[in-house]
Amino acid sequence: MQIAGFEFPDELYYDLKHGWGRVEGNIVTQGLTDFGQKLAREIVYVEIPPIGRSVTQGQTFMSIESGKWVGRIPAIVSGKIVAVNEELEWEPNLINKSPFDRGWLVKIEMSNPAELDKLMRANSPEFKAFIEAEAEKFKSVLGG
Amino acid sequence: MKLYRLGTVAWPYSQLLYHALPRLNREGLILLSPDSPYVCIGYFQDPEQDVDLAYCREHGIPVFRREVGGGAVYLDGNQLFWQLVIRKDHPLVPASREEFYRKFLQAPIAVYRAIGIPAEYKPVNDVIVHNRKISGTGVAEIGNYIVFVGNLILDFNYEMMVRVLKVPDEKFRDKVYKTLQENLTTIKRELGDIPPREKLWDLLAEKFSEILGPMEVETGVDPEWRAEANRLGEVMLKEDWLYMRRRPHTDYGVTIRSGVEVRQKVYKATGGLIRAIIVVQEGTIADITLSGDFFFYPADKLTELEKALIGVEVEKAEKIIVRFYSEQGVESPGITPADLAMVINP
Repeated sequence: MQIAGFEFPDELYYDLKHGWGRVEGNIVTQGLTDFGQKLAREIVYVEIPPIGRSVTQGQTFMSIESGKWVGRIPAIVSGKIVAVNEELEWEPNLINKSPFDRGWLVKIEMSNPAELDKLMRANSPEFKAFIEAEAEKFKSVLGG
Repeated sequence: MKLYRLGTVAWPYSQLLYHALPRLNREGLILLSPDSPYVCIGYFQDPEQDVDLAYCREHGIPVFRREVGGGAVYLDGNQLFWQLVIRKDHPLVPASREEFYRKFLQAPIAVYRAIGIPAEYKPVNDVIVHNRKISGTGVAEIGNYIVFVGNLILDFNYEMMVRVLKVPDEKFRDKVYKTLQENLTTIKRELGDIPPREKLWDLLAEKFSEILGPMEVETGVDPEWRAEANRLGEVMLKEDWLYMRRRPHTDYGVTIRSGVEVRQKVYKATGGLIRAIIVVQEGTIADITLSGDFFFYPADKLTELEKALIGVEVEKAEKIIVRFYSEQGVESPGITPADLAMVINP
């Protein structure tokens, strides 16, 4: 669905750091939303974490660079990284070009599926309110 | 927040101190300058690709990898550094990165203006005067803190900056030098002279205080901070940290089971980059995909080469490729059969 002019696919889960998660069985594919990538601007480097690393929901585990700013990405769920998008090392701006598809970051094998309850869905009023507030806050960056 | 006016420090501390402060859960504005020159590379850079390491070694110029973004820079005592360590949730921290840069760059801009240089902010993160850059800046997120670093450039050694960079040839270096001269200026170039350093430090402290509020001034490094900086030095001044491969990871391998491995190998040949994704089963190629940015004529023969390699022992791959080239009349400028074999049996 569209919120504040941005696409948020209905089937995904979202956190408040502009991350998305696609749940397939026990595996969650994580990425940055279209809104998030617009805020970050052109991403020039992505640090690919090693497969097998354990991550904790909400805690940062990988870095991306845009505009000389090295930012950290928090994990959308806890678990173990089972796949990484190696293409991002060659083409980091895939995150900008295809945030919900080719620009995915990692796949995490969930250790606690109950954590999904802490995430939000595109159709929830809270999420809509959050994105609208964010869009207002970042109006100058997003171009009005 | 505290203001640490540290003056001139040994060069490693000009980097280690700001990396240490957020790790101690402390905020602060640090003002300092290094006592000797060094090269500082961005977090994601590869020193072997970006810096002329042989030249640096020969001339005793250390190289340091920072956690902050951006490119390789030549730093020395003619630059006055500010290093702001501030909590991400500090009320003064704006929501967006651009607003962050715009807000805090007002301090150095005000310093430049106070000494008669009409500096301006240029989005996203530049300070310019007459369309030339006059400050270097960058940011790292470390834990719950944002670390914002930058400099006032009193004078600049353009020759050394260009000399320490790794470039393909002298013509290219000359081009970089001219472009740098045209696009980077200094206080000395703008004013013909450099104001006293103490005056510049005072101005930096004053202009940052106008944004951050009054700050308690310290002129030394306390033992806790020194210890953390030294602990970090044990990591960040070591070759493992400097040479940590940052871009791109070329090789990956996943063992499916004993004797079965999926691996990716990338090799840079004269004619371009070659990449192979190979499934190796008991030493034999079970599957292979070749790609890259090289030319291969006729193009459809690349798929045929892949097919010809299936079932071949990795150690015999080069022989098969040589035979394929000769039988099929393949041409690949700058890419030899040995180069292709490098991604299969390195």
